[in-house]
Amino acid sequence: MLLRGLTWLVVFQLVGTALNHLFLSILPGPIIGLVLLLIYLMIRGDVSEPLSVAASSLLRYLPLLLVPPAVGIMIYATAIAENFWAIVGSLVLSLVISLTFVGWFMQKLIERRADHHES
Amino acid sequence: MNLDWQGAWASVIHHPLFGIALTLGAYQLAMACYEKTRWVFFQPVLASMVVVIAMLLGCGLEYAEYRRSTEILGILLGPATVALAVPLYLNLRRIRLLLWPILTTLVVGGVFATGLCLLIGWLLGANHMMLMTMAPKSVTSPIAMLVAEQLGGVAALAAVFVLLTGVIGAIFGPGLLSWAGVHNPAARGMALGLTAHAVGTSVALQEGEECGAFAALAMSLMGVATALFLPLTVSLVV
Repeated sequence: MLLRGLTWLVVFQLVGTALNHLFLSILPGPIIGLVLLLIYLMIRGDVSEPLSVAASSLLRYLPLLLVPPAVGIMIYATAIAENFWAIVGSLVLSLVISLTFVGWFMQKLIERRADHHES
Repeated sequence: MNLDWQGAWASVIHHPLFGIALTLGAYQLAMACYEKTRWVFFQPVLASMVVVIAMLLGCGLEYAEYRRSTEILGILLGPATVALAVPLYLNLRRIRLLLWPILTTLVVGGVFATGLCLLIGWLLGANHMMLMTMAPKSVTSPIAMLVAEQLGGVAALAAVFVLLTGVIGAIFGPGLLSWAGVHNPAARGMALGLTAHAVGTSVALQEGEECGAFAALAMSLMGVATALFLPLTVSLVV
């Protein structure tokens, strides 16, 4: 079950990698694979059991998969230290402001739409 | 009896599985601490990162060696990205209903997030290379690395900024959104995915399936939009 779903995911990513190499060097293979799988699911009309099992098991461990690249911070310690305040300031401030703004903006748009439909 | 303790220790820490064991152990420890305390600084990615770095430094291991031994986890990141299509598809009906708010938020929010980061970085005196490395920080790391390189930044460092951004977003995001009165799961997911990519999406998935789906959507749209338009914009401006 899990294996069959995993195979599908891998196949979609490999097709994405091929397309990335052939036409779309700007988009990475996994993102093209995501779009392809989405199109496939829309055509098919439902999610098969193996695929949904594999997807939910993989996504549950998404944070774990992100740990090794995060550890890469250790080799850039000096470069980061030199620009420490600029980096921390712009990353933290811009994230805090834009995250709050995006959430607020989206909610406003949704609410306005709901009002519109009611009236 | 004279056992070769040192040799045994060296062969353990240089074994290809050591990196995996370290990561799995650190992650489960972080998860357990996080679930017990719900304290934001035990955010699993951040806490595991700290534990792993401390262990590597303690054992005198290089990052390159750790990276090689955890390659399998990195490889699985690809299929995991593809798997995001499933929650996306399951919420397609709701997404279609909100198509215009989503697209408007993507354009306004995407430009706002990237522009603000560059502006603040420039005001605080970051050099050109650093700025170009930070510009794609809100998108998922494979895209960010490609884009940073095109702009004249450093790919590996871009991955680090991406992760930092994601971790900061995961730590403060949910609290900030509640503070700002954003309770709509679609809006929360959109904000987390758009600004804090995969790490934000993993937090959004914990909040609920709808929230996660919107985060996955925002993450992929933001990634695609950044990959297409950021290099173009920078080449026009600079």
